[in-house]
Amino acid sequence: MKQDRVIRRMIRRDTHSSRSVPSVVVASILLVTFLWLALESVLWLLKDQPLLASPAQLRQWLLDLPANTIPAGMTAAGVGLGILGLLIIGIAVGKGRRPRRALASDRTATVVDDDVIAAAVSSKARLAAGLAPGQVTTTVGGRSVRVQVRPTSGVPLNLESIKTALDGELATYALDRPVKRNVRVLNEGAVGQ
Amino acid sequence: MRRTNRALNRILLTLVGLALLGTGAALIAAGTLPGAADTWRAIGSTVTDQARTLSSTALLPEPARSWWLVAGVAVLLLGAILSAAWLASQGGGRTPRLAEQADGINGRTVVDVGLISAAVHQALNGNKNVLAASVSAWESRSGTALRLRMQARKGTSPRELADTAEELIQGIDVWLGHPLPVLVRITSGARTRVSGSRRAR
Repeated sequence: MKQDRVIRRMIRRDTHSSRSVPSVVVASILLVTFLWLALESVLWLLKDQPLLASPAQLRQWLLDLPANTIPAGMTAAGVGLGILGLLIIGIAVGKGRRPRRALASDRTATVVDDDVIAAAVSSKARLAAGLAPGQVTTTVGGRSVRVQVRPTSGVPLNLESIKTALDGELATYALDRPVKRNVRVLNEGAVGQ
Repeated sequence: MRRTNRALNRILLTLVGLALLGTGAALIAAGTLPGAADTWRAIGSTVTDQARTLSSTALLPEPARSWWLVAGVAVLLLGAILSAAWLASQGGGRTPRLAEQADGINGRTVVDVGLISAAVHQALNGNKNVLAASVSAWESRSGTALRLRMQARKGTSPRELADTAEELIQGIDVWLGHPLPVLVRITSGARTRVSGSRRAR
């Protein structure tokens, strides 16, 4: 039972983003800002030359901001900051799923990239229908596996055999999030295969 | 697998996002509402006046002038330290040693990741479906965990690779004597893109 929990935790940590990149960016900006403000304050206390602007200048600039800026500019800046804030909240609160998923396994936590699954599904469909490389493309995303088949011109395509082959293949993966298989046959055929 | 504190990241990012949202709302209000510009000035003046009165109390000799000003600088420095701590809490946890056992006075036995890595490379040497493999060890909450990363050849069934990995791990279990938590990552990579699929039509 404990083993199970450990495995589930490892899978969860690997299939979801840790948000370390946005955290590093935000923390670096905060760090630089705080250090700069502290340095300016000390310089101001020592009555030294400011680096960029002394606290007194900053205060004056903030107070005069509405008077010196046109209202449209203020609004635009506010909208910009608001969108940035929403974006950061979205990153923090959102699911943060990465394009990979877990395969059922007795012993290990097994996590597979979506492109590996897509390539395997394509190759399986290709073998089932006897098509050349490039005639099958697969997209794996969210809860679906979308397979696009481009048949060879003049050669009938056995859609059922592709579907059964894919269902069998996907069943052996036993993915933790069930996916819906969706096979689409293009109208245009490939010539000379 | 890393030791990043994910809950902390989410909470702090939310706080920063809310602060930005609040500032944005204040700017929009100052830009659109008619009396907002005056309110802005009034609030700003009150705050500066209060700060000025505060800094004339609790006096200190020059150049610091007042304890309150020193406290202000200290708060800024504290903010910088907390930011640095947040920055430092990202990642980490990778370790070169996989297992360790103390045998009393006889000494200690340490199993290096390199040993497992060499064994895995040896075992996967003839396997055409695996383009590259890497092994690393990580300190996690439930002890040291092993991470096995395999780069798949294009079109290889992930189930086949997972079974291969499971066999390897079972061998490692027998070798080490006690099972470790293992994460198997089946990935695509630069070499996957250029490698052709193995089977002919």
